[in-house]
Amino acid sequence: MNMPAPTKTKLPPSQHPFADVIHRMESGGAMLPDTPENLMQIIGLYKAYAVPMDFYWRDLLYIGEQVFLNPLPVFKYFISDEYMKRHNHYAGDDADLRIWRGTAEAHPELIEFMEKGELNKKLPRGLHHLWHDRINMEFAEECMRAMLWHRGMYVPVNQFDPYLDSDEYKANADRAIKAYFRKNPVMAGLYKLFPDMFLEQCRQASYYANLGLFWEVMAPVFFEMSDLYDEGKIATVPQAMDFLVNGIFAIAGRPIYHNVYIDGECYEIIPKSKGFTWLYEAALPYVEAVFYRTSPFRGTKSYNAQAGQVPMEQKDFHYGVLYADKFPVGTAGIPPTFLAQDMLHFLPPYLVDYYQQHCRGEDDMLVQLAVSFQRSMYCVTSAVIQALRCALLYPLDDPNPNHLMANRRFFESQLDRFLRPESRIREIQNQNYR
Amino acid sequence: MLSPLIWLPLIGALVIGLVPNLSAKQAKLGAIAVSGAILAWTAVLLLNFDLSQPGLQMKEYHTWIPTLGISYSLAIDGLSLPLLALGSLITIIVASNGEVGLKPGETLQRPQLFYSLLLIVNAGVAGAFLAQNLLLFFLFYEVELVPFYLLILIWGGQKREYAAMKFLIYTAISGVLILAAFLGVAWLGHAPSFDYSDINTAILPQRVQLILLTLVLIGFGIKTPLVPLHTWLPDAYVEASTPVAILLGGILAKLGTYGLVRFALGMFPETWKLISPGLSIIAAVSILYGALSALAQHDIKRMVAFSSIAHMGYVLLGAAALTPLAMVGAVSQMVAHGLILALLFYLVGLVESKTGTRDRDILNGLLNPIRGLPLTSALLILAAMASAGIPGLAGFVAEFLVFQGSFSTFPVQTLVAILGTGLTAVYFVILLNRTCFGKLDNATAYFPKVKFVEYIPALVLTALIFWFGIQPSWLVRWSEQTTKSLVTAAIPQAEQVAFNSVDRS
Repeated sequence: MNMPAPTKTKLPPSQHPFADVIHRMESGGAMLPDTPENLMQIIGLYKAYAVPMDFYWRDLLYIGEQVFLNPLPVFKYFISDEYMKRHNHYAGDDADLRIWRGTAEAHPELIEFMEKGELNKKLPRGLHHLWHDRINMEFAEECMRAMLWHRGMYVPVNQFDPYLDSDEYKANADRAIKAYFRKNPVMAGLYKLFPDMFLEQCRQASYYANLGLFWEVMAPVFFEMSDLYDEGKIATVPQAMDFLVNGIFAIAGRPIYHNVYIDGECYEIIPKSKGFTWLYEAALPYVEAVFYRTSPFRGTKSYNAQAGQVPMEQKDFHYGVLYADKFPVGTAGIPPTFLAQDMLHFLPPYLVDYYQQHCRGEDDMLVQLAVSFQRSMYCVTSAVIQALRCALLYPLDDPNPNHLMANRRFFESQLDRFLRPESRIREIQNQNYR
Repeated sequence: MLSPLIWLPLIGALVIGLVPNLSAKQAKLGAIAVSGAILAWTAVLLLNFDLSQPGLQMKEYHTWIPTLGISYSLAIDGLSLPLLALGSLITIIVASNGEVGLKPGETLQRPQLFYSLLLIVNAGVAGAFLAQNLLLFFLFYEVELVPFYLLILIWGGQKREYAAMKFLIYTAISGVLILAAFLGVAWLGHAPSFDYSDINTAILPQRVQLILLTLVLIGFGIKTPLVPLHTWLPDAYVEASTPVAILLGGILAKLGTYGLVRFALGMFPETWKLISPGLSIIAAVSILYGALSALAQHDIKRMVAFSSIAHMGYVLLGAAALTPLAMVGAVSQMVAHGLILALLFYLVGLVESKTGTRDRDILNGLLNPIRGLPLTSALLILAAMASAGIPGLAGFVAEFLVFQGSFSTFPVQTLVAILGTGLTAVYFVILLNRTCFGKLDNATAYFPKVKFVEYIPALVLTALIFWFGIQPSWLVRWSEQTTKSLVTAAIPQAEQVAFNSVDRS
């Protein structure tokens, strides 16, 4: 599906502080201005993001399905061969749905990195890990935790979250927990004493699975975008956004579930039959939790809750990537230095050249790519907003001015969330924000 | 053996200034070569200096204008040698970093003139430290006035004309007062010449001595400067470009304190002892005033400038106390302060050139490892610690010697001075907290990187500050004998013993 061509607006100019952005979105554009430089940055970053993401989803599923409630999950980042070689359900010849061209196996750059790391030496995995020469799963877990903490997002559209509190879920979890600790009387005893604690851990494992299944789709999408850009088939920011919107709709129905494998037996904690889907139960909560909200922890800035610097309601949190400071501080939090470090290993050469020409070149590439990442996530958020508009409202070329006005009200309400001063939407309008 | 320290920079200045169409790089290299030779020659002097002798060494004497009593008489002792070495070091640092403090893309204007003026300053200051004839000293003392005036006027900041004129007027008055005092000393004392060794003030009535000493004190007090004669300093230091500020603080101010010890104390030892309580009060006021003023500053260069006033107070306190320990502390403080101030000004210059501001309210988070100036900030923290007298660094050695030596004589003034040290820590913590710590501002943090070569002078100064901090004997050994003899001249040995016995009881 292509976004309709820009039409002559039949509406008076918007009076919103971000009127320019709103007019651009009404013309089928994104929040990010359409410039070749922006396009190069966002596509390059999608590619650099997709490679570690190819690991993130595998390990998230591995933790959710295999590590599960291990009380000492020391080796949870040491993914099994089975999961490393696991075929992506949306790439490769045996895909459930073949839209994108990539292979089902892990990306070659990822495989090479897993073997040699940035040291480019074949050492035992433990040594690579201790040297911090690895894919940083802490970032992925931080995203998962953000989704877990911000319960109740998009309810009632999102049915996944309320389901975690249902008796059915509790019964499923109970069965799996008991099976998991069958040979561990101490943990089994603790479960009897503190069932809620274990149940909460189980909910966390369900979110591991949720996010893993979400990113399993996103990785091939981003690879495809990078390939199309290299082939010259994506030449503008709106085209990139359209591709994402199309992807969102194409994959919207992908089932979201949580299976746990204990002693070779599968326990369906959240069965596929519940009908939870990728768009409503994973994508929308993910965007809300990670792009907008996250948490005021482990960031560049200290927040003082007693001084009222942290909102009373979690829904009012705005610490996500669209608001985050760009300076990496060495955490998985805001901004995610660990992710920046991961992406640094897989930057396409044109982006490395680009960064070397600006600011401090090699020395502050982490900051520069964090800013590019912010730009690319504004593009993804634009795609989500346009997709929601498609789903809930009217086409951009609708002849009815009332419909167009409804669209405008929708865009304005979405952009109201960026009125707060810490939002970076103002900065990304300027190419010199690096 | 001493003349090269005067003539080498003068010839260098002439060559660099007069050879037509020298490029900036050639002028710089020339200045580095000359100042390198001066430093090497100073090292030779250090190696040949007899530490056991309190008196003058390596004397050079040539008659010049006998009818006027002017001779070309040079010598060094434990008072002048450390300051000479400090001057040579700072000259090469400035010569090799004339561009420090300039914004990216800016180049040093009129490099030939800059470097030749720098060398003239060096020659003038070296001559003043070496001269053993009052009029010869005065000649050198005045010689460095004009190049400094031009250095502030041409390469200074926005209010450079005002600052340069103020500097000129103050220091010219200082010169007039000193000349008057020197003439009075020689003529009233019926000295056969203006040679330092011919001067005998003992025959003068005490009231005359007091008047002449007051003239000398005001003259050198302006140069040092001491409160309330200091008002030229903040303007001159702040408006001067970074290299010139380093020269002003590192070399010129030392000429003032040198003059106080050499001529005020050296020529009028007994009268100095008489007024020393008053001097110690002026010292305490300078220390407190400098520290409190620094506390109020928002411009970090101005803060450093005011801190300089406070630190000069320690020198006066040590000299006023008239104990061997305090006196050696005073001389050590001249050197330690020269090094620390040069480092502070250099780093402030680096910060200004990279960030475009010196305002502590704008600067923030410079320690940020990726986009900030982490090493510069770290060195700034170290320089601030040294300035605040943290043990293990040169500043502590000097200040501790002063306090230890002066407490028995002037306990209240010493306590006030110690309070001043505490305040130094306070204003530097404020400076560091506002500039280095906190969060780097997104909108402005596109600072250029500091290149390694730009760090070299700061690293050299830091190494010396560290070295003198952990090996204080290298700082004090040069001047121990000389300062002891200066004290002995003012206070008979028997009285000193009494002092010491009181000290230990």
